Amino acid sequence: MRGLWIAVGVVGGLLAQAPAKRAAAPPRPAGAQSYKDLKFPALRQVEIPKVDTHTLPNGMRLYLLENHELPTVNGFALVRTGNLFDPPDKVGLAQITGTVMRTGGTTQETGDALDEKLENIAASVESSIGESSGRVSFSALKENADEVLAVFKDILTSPEFRADKLELAKTQSRSSISRRNDDPHGIAAREFDSIVYGRDNSYGWRMDYQHVNRIAREDLIAFYKRYFFPSNLMLAVYGDFSGAEMKAKLEKLFAGWTATQPAVPPFPKISAKPAAGVFLAEKADVNQTFFEIGHLGGLLNDKDFAALEVMGDILGGGFRSRLFERVRTKLGYAYSISADWGADYEHPGLFQVSGSTKSLSTSETFQVIEEEIARLRDSEVTGEELKDAKDTVLNGFVFNFDTRAKTLNRLLNYEYFGYPKDFIFQYQKAVAAVTKADILRVARERLKPKELTFVAVGKPQDFGKPLDTLGRPLVKIDLTIPEAKVEAAKADAASLAKGKALLQRVQQAVGGAERLAGVKNVMQVVEIQLAPEAGGLKVKQTNRWMAPNLFRQEMELPFGKVASFSDGATGWMKTPQGEGPLPGQALKQAQGELFRAFPRLLLSDRDPDRTVNLAGEGVVEISGKDGNVARLTVDSAGLPAKVTYLGPQGEVEEAWSDFQEEGGLKLPRKTTVSQGGRKFADATVLEVKLNTAFTPEEMRKRP
Amino acid sequence: MPGMLVLALLLLAPLLGQNLKDFEKKVTEFGLANGLHFIVIERHEAPVISFNTHVKVGSLFDPGGQTGLAHMFEHMAFKGTATIGSKNWTEEKKALDAVEAVFQRLEAERRKGLRADSKEIEKLQGLLKAAIEKAELYVDTNAYPRIIESNGGVGMNAGTGLEATNYYYNFPSNRLELWFLLESERFLHPVFREFYKERDVVREERRMRVESNPQGKLGEAILTTAFMAHPYRQVPIGWASDIENLRLSEAERFYKTYYVPGNIVIGIAGDVDPAEAKRLAEKYFSRLPGAPLPPGITTIEPKQEGPRRAEIESPAQPMMFIGYKRPDHHHADDPVFDVITTVLASGRTGVLYKELVRDRKLALAAISGPNFPGSQYPNLFIFLLVPNAGKTMEENEKAFQEVLEKFKNTKIDPVTLARVKTKARAGLIRRLDSNAGLATLLPLYHVAYGEWKKMFTALDDLDKVTADDVQRVAKEYFIDNGKTVAVTFQPKKASGGAK
Repeated sequence: MRGLWIAVGVVGGLLAQAPAKRAAAPPRPAGAQSYKDLKFPALRQVEIPKVDTHTLPNGMRLYLLENHELPTVNGFALVRTGNLFDPPDKVGLAQITGTVMRTGGTTQETGDALDEKLENIAASVESSIGESSGRVSFSALKENADEVLAVFKDILTSPEFRADKLELAKTQSRSSISRRNDDPHGIAAREFDSIVYGRDNSYGWRMDYQHVNRIAREDLIAFYKRYFFPSNLMLAVYGDFSGAEMKAKLEKLFAGWTATQPAVPPFPKISAKPAAGVFLAEKADVNQTFFEIGHLGGLLNDKDFAALEVMGDILGGGFRSRLFERVRTKLGYAYSISADWGADYEHPGLFQVSGSTKSLSTSETFQVIEEEIARLRDSEVTGEELKDAKDTVLNGFVFNFDTRAKTLNRLLNYEYFGYPKDFIFQYQKAVAAVTKADILRVARERLKPKELTFVAVGKPQDFGKPLDTLGRPLVKIDLTIPEAKVEAAKADAASLAKGKALLQRVQQAVGGAERLAGVKNVMQVVEIQLAPEAGGLKVKQTNRWMAPNLFRQEMELPFGKVASFSDGATGWMKTPQGEGPLPGQALKQAQGELFRAFPRLLLSDRDPDRTVNLAGEGVVEISGKDGNVARLTVDSAGLPAKVTYLGPQGEVEEAWSDFQEEGGLKLPRKTTVSQGGRKFADATVLEVKLNTAFTPEEMRKRP
Repeated sequence: MPGMLVLALLLLAPLLGQNLKDFEKKVTEFGLANGLHFIVIERHEAPVISFNTHVKVGSLFDPGGQTGLAHMFEHMAFKGTATIGSKNWTEEKKALDAVEAVFQRLEAERRKGLRADSKEIEKLQGLLKAAIEKAELYVDTNAYPRIIESNGGVGMNAGTGLEATNYYYNFPSNRLELWFLLESERFLHPVFREFYKERDVVREERRMRVESNPQGKLGEAILTTAFMAHPYRQVPIGWASDIENLRLSEAERFYKTYYVPGNIVIGIAGDVDPAEAKRLAEKYFSRLPGAPLPPGITTIEPKQEGPRRAEIESPAQPMMFIGYKRPDHHHADDPVFDVITTVLASGRTGVLYKELVRDRKLALAAISGPNFPGSQYPNLFIFLLVPNAGKTMEENEKAFQEVLEKFKNTKIDPVTLARVKTKARAGLIRRLDSNAGLATLLPLYHVAYGEWKKMFTALDDLDKVTADDVQRVAKEYFIDNGKTVAVTFQPKKASGGAK
């Protein structure tokens, strides 16, 4: 029995469960009971648990907190790292390292074996790397604590980053990228970040296919080694144990871990310039506009943080905030509307108004938001607004201490970011001291109405008033997800000459350039055996190529015949379900096939649209003006051993063997295809014919 | 990426328990003469208390043509009372009555259909607008939630499901009496102020959750396809045109019928003295007059004859729900379904994860849940498949069926069965350290099974499940004649996998 999981609430997930507002005095019928008559006893003093701290000889800091309510032991290591340290050409490296650290297992055990072992005892060990920290955590029933701690230690100190789990993480990352334009709220939040922080730095850039494709196991290992060392992490353990015993246990457990690295540098600085304007991402399948409006916020240790926080709260922090009252309650324009003065520990956060409204009321809603931001700068908030906002923070202050885990987490966060231990109490005091004049002052100093960035995701043809009525520059956001490109190796006159020479050696080895040039068409029958994880099917293909640019393929599959044709610009496809133009992805593949057609590929030095370059020892890189790139690896005899290129799901390799003569040319009879480092299929040529009599019309003709 | 449905699926951790005796000492139950039931759980770790009011009404009870009404009332329960939220109740009452009076005239004119006088309608619409504006003059906006927030209340919200509506938040423990006062007032004499503006807000909520969200559309599609007769087909948010025509008078009638004390169970967990809670409950909630319990649901879903399928065109990347009919949570096979969902889709040892996600890399996610959309009546055992980029829905569906067939034809091994039971036990332990969780769960079990202790004793039922049971139940229920699929597909013109 599990119920209640389709539920609709009165406040949406977009709305920060934060603070709101005042206490008024409605006249009421005599005799009714009033909340105002209630007297509250003083709140029982909160007991702040004592956290035992120690530093181990290897530099690791320990934070231990006993809690005997339940028979569990939990803990986490907080590591100074983050995706802010991602290299620009490998965005996503930190995240993937964080994932594969656990799934890729340890030197002793595979990740799969650990899954079974841990889940058999209802325990977990997990790892992840976020924006500005990394975390490896565990959770165990008390009786299994030692066993789970041992796994935790192995993950932390000797992860193996096995290739199959890197491949899984890359596959999943690509899928996430492919789905990133499906959720309009997600688009608005993402684009707002990118626009305000800038797309050229780790605060604002995002992971694309080409980044994922470049990430290799060595990168993960190097990233891990740089950041995961004892003096760069804090280890917190809490639950049902004795502190002294746990300390001794951990000391012993980690005694052998002595890795060292230079101190980790500070996180990069933000140098974003204001991005004023309205940025529109068009999305056809929505009937609301999802928006984010704001600019850079500030730091948590800013002297005005408390006043700014209260200001943000009065603007859009809860049921009684100005935006909630006006946009939602009075106008009925939105279900979700909220605002927050964004502050972060070590870099400016984002001042942000978020929500969604029906397409029709988009511009009106934006105008109201502009007005409310301006109003904070024009006049003081009311005494009632201020009192409500402060009461909300001060009366709810106890919820900062309602679980022991919160105290522990806070302590570690403060130490991690170099904040004073009593920061929360400084904040409490500062909130109590905020005045109406403070709020007006900080609103004038820190809110920049002219510099606001508006990000709107929606359907502009349904807007009641066009966005340009806002009188701000209008910029369109292109949501197209960039396809992966293979970057060409560095080329200079010498490498170009060497590349050409190597390719000509290949031409010689297979039978000579003139024989290759004499091939006007090729017909081959191939049997393909797919690898078990690719489905294990056996497929028979008949492929025809005709110079310079026609390609036709007929395939027999268990569910029927599939035929396709392309001339490089267009094409068609026929399946048992019907026929139609070649869809984009398949057309791209066909274009790739044409680019790599054996005789043409080997004669690329004669093609003015292609560059032939030496990409490494024995490797020729051939890149076309159309964006296709292939790398040919040449063996010691000058024969082409393999070709690699980028497919829709990562790097593809075709390894050639069993060269046999046909019409004076040595052609490979066997091809092993791998994708992303794993075998995909074996192809065997059953029959090959050169320069037989068929015409372009026969190529084009639909079966 | 996933919206709330997926999230909720992931949160369906197994229920279950241990060490009931220790826990029992912390729990006090009492009922009031009017039928209202309280469950108090003492946890004195910190001076805070969580409250959860569980009302046994949800969208299952929405009247025909008025879907979304249960949810609409939930929104009105934040609008205050005569004494909270009004600047001048005498005048406000008059103004609210005037709004309804104009509305009646407008409706009467519209009902004339083709012979309605458009000028008269226009005039009445003008009057209605003026009447609404007048009533708004007396509103002390959002006074009710504001009192909660400024007194340090956190986590305030409510949720309307199909079977229940819950109202919840947390207070510092010295505000105990304030909670009793506010919560009893909202159900004793709620005022339906700003009804028609709030209706617009709810309409926006539907746009956000369903109309701009492919997964929301898919959820609606599977329910309306799987359930032809049973009101499980009525999703809480309601249909757009129904929302746009909801009436205050109907919401009032709904409230009077269903918000009766015998239909309410309240959970209170934290730093609370049960004797004090009982005294305050008598003082404040005894004011709610006793009333007969509302009628239950009598519609029985007819037997499904043949598989069903709904397809929704969407430019979003595809995903699929697959549901199989299963009996309600009182059925003897209920614990077996809990075992099955853990074996198939819990953690990284789940069969679907290992096969579809990890090894064959067909899916980004493949998960299951034992009850959808509720559990009190025969419902669905549900799966969600999310294909990887470059993998088709067809490949995923085919592979899923292969895995399911294999599961039906292979007896699960003892290690797997033991793992399920261990996870269940640990899952319960881990749920006992949250006031809010306990205040939610104990009333939920009380309502579902007649006693909160079932949260613990369900573990014994689960322990009795054998590998044979698992195979028998899988074979009996995972059949074409109980199957409903809802899937999104991309429009034909879409080219390429990138966009």
